[in-house]
Amino acid sequence: MIIAKRPVLKELSPDQIFQNPANPRMFFRPEEMDTLLASIKRYGIQVPISVYQDGDRFVLIDGERRWRCARKLNLRQIPALVQDRPSPLENLLLMFNIHALREQWDYLTIAKSLPDVISLFNSENARYPNEIELSELTGLTRGQIRRCKYLLDLPKKYVKVLEQELHLPKASQQLSEDFFIEMERSLKTVQNRVPAAIVDLDSARDALISKFRAGTIGNITDFRKLSKIATSIGNVGAKELRVRSALRDILDPDKRTGIHEVYAERFELQYDQRKVSLTIDSIFEYLEIAEEDEEAISSDLREKLFELKTRIERVLGL
Amino acid sequence: MAFDTFDPRMKTVAERALAHCRQQFGGNGLTVEQGISPAISWRPSFICRPTSRSIVGIEVAENLYPEILKVAAHDISFYDAPIAVYQACSLDAYQKDPKQSRVSLMRQDGIGIITVDEDGRAVIQHPAVPLAQHIPESRLESEIKALTAKLKVGFRAAYKTYLTNIGQGLQQAGQIVEAIVLSLASQAVKKGHISPGSARGPLADVIDELYQELRLKDHRAALGAARSFTKEYRNAASHPAKTAKQAAEKMRCCRDGFYESIETSLKLQRVFHAMNYKLTVHITH
Repeated sequence: MIIAKRPVLKELSPDQIFQNPANPRMFFRPEEMDTLLASIKRYGIQVPISVYQDGDRFVLIDGERRWRCARKLNLRQIPALVQDRPSPLENLLLMFNIHALREQWDYLTIAKSLPDVISLFNSENARYPNEIELSELTGLTRGQIRRCKYLLDLPKKYVKVLEQELHLPKASQQLSEDFFIEMERSLKTVQNRVPAAIVDLDSARDALISKFRAGTIGNITDFRKLSKIATSIGNVGAKELRVRSALRDILDPDKRTGIHEVYAERFELQYDQRKVSLTIDSIFEYLEIAEEDEEAISSDLREKLFELKTRIERVLGL
Repeated sequence: MAFDTFDPRMKTVAERALAHCRQQFGGNGLTVEQGISPAISWRPSFICRPTSRSIVGIEVAENLYPEILKVAAHDISFYDAPIAVYQACSLDAYQKDPKQSRVSLMRQDGIGIITVDEDGRAVIQHPAVPLAQHIPESRLESEIKALTAKLKVGFRAAYKTYLTNIGQGLQQAGQIVEAIVLSLASQAVKKGHISPGSARGPLADVIDELYQELRLKDHRAALGAARSFTKEYRNAASHPAKTAKQAAEKMRCCRDGFYESIETSLKLQRVFHAMNYKLTVHITH
């Protein structure tokens, strides 16, 4: 990050300041703006906004919410740090890093800006940044970058749906970024593991969205169960036909079949058995060590192992 | 560019609401995203000026009763011109208000609501009144709580008139005070505390007669309040306002007068109790 000169603190009229066209921030939630507005009305702007001069006007680098509140409150002047005009990449990265340290942008905002960062980096360095470099440049974790990529790959019509939702007050939002990220992740798993279950990806998305809106899919975390159903062939030895039929039921918009009920009725037991089996394997491993080291079995553990033995005999009818 | 900080959906709401307001209030003096005055901590989304003496400020926002309107209300009610305030929002946001609680709060505070539906149709759901003249119904009820049933009915009727014509509303409230004073005088005559002649003539003279009566000396504060109310507010509504400043002053005067009439009635009612007089008022409106 190269900001050459020391910034100069000035009092500027909000009318002299203009939005930064490169600002990736897209959503200003009314309830958050209300809180900030009340604070500014009471205490004024405590932290100056950052701007750069462009002719006789100033362009925002950081502080759009404060600037919006100042305008709304009809303030005559606000404190602003006037910085040198940054290069386009510096301009964008400055905003990324400010928000990585403070309140985070929405994932969609980040997702939409990442291609700009990549392309500007490419024009300055004649190569594309890898994920680690992208993480260092933007201050985002690699996990966050991957989550953004799910949104970035969404077809335009779903991005529009998400944008409309994000503009709404939080209480009125039905579909969140997390919803789309989890849905996309699970659909990707289904596509990889059971490709025949998805005839048309957009129809599958539409079915899942409408089932979520209708409450047939009750929770975003249900999508993890959808992934588990898709991976059950390899993980718990489920029959492909059975898995395909379960997935088709879930992705059929005309059937009121949710993910949770299909998972609970048709797959949960197998997963539980697998879990128990893995736990038994781990007990076996420990017992093998215990055979060589007597101290490995404390009196408490001995008591529990006896209890386990008794229960196993009872359950197996021995 | 106008409304450039709004998302596309709210921009449509703003544009449709503006077109509707232009029709309703005229396009003269219409400004977008400009402050009304440095004295008011609010820059409305747009402003209409239906007459040279009145201003209508419209805030476009999707969350009902946004903080800025609460912040601005105080400045507005003391500003030198009458300002009515509307919020414009989508019909969806209006309908989704749980139990219409925020809508009720806005109505109570005199703020109007304009909604814009999916097809872009704008409708005024609740009209706004200039905040300088606004009396919330809940406040009226709490103020008249201790009055007799008949006086309550009288003040509610006066309030109803006030909502459509502040001057006439205040006049009706003043008539209630007058009726109480005349009843007080008539009771004083009955009890032989003043002469029948003293209970006739202009109201101010009747009050002066009662004031001088020694048996009523403990109640001079109430009588003084009635005297000052008559002096200050009786003709407050009769003088037409020539400027925006006068119009705002007149509104504030009518609102203060209305409250004062209730307070004076309450004080006078206590005199009846203390003197063991019977309160009989004839309210004709």
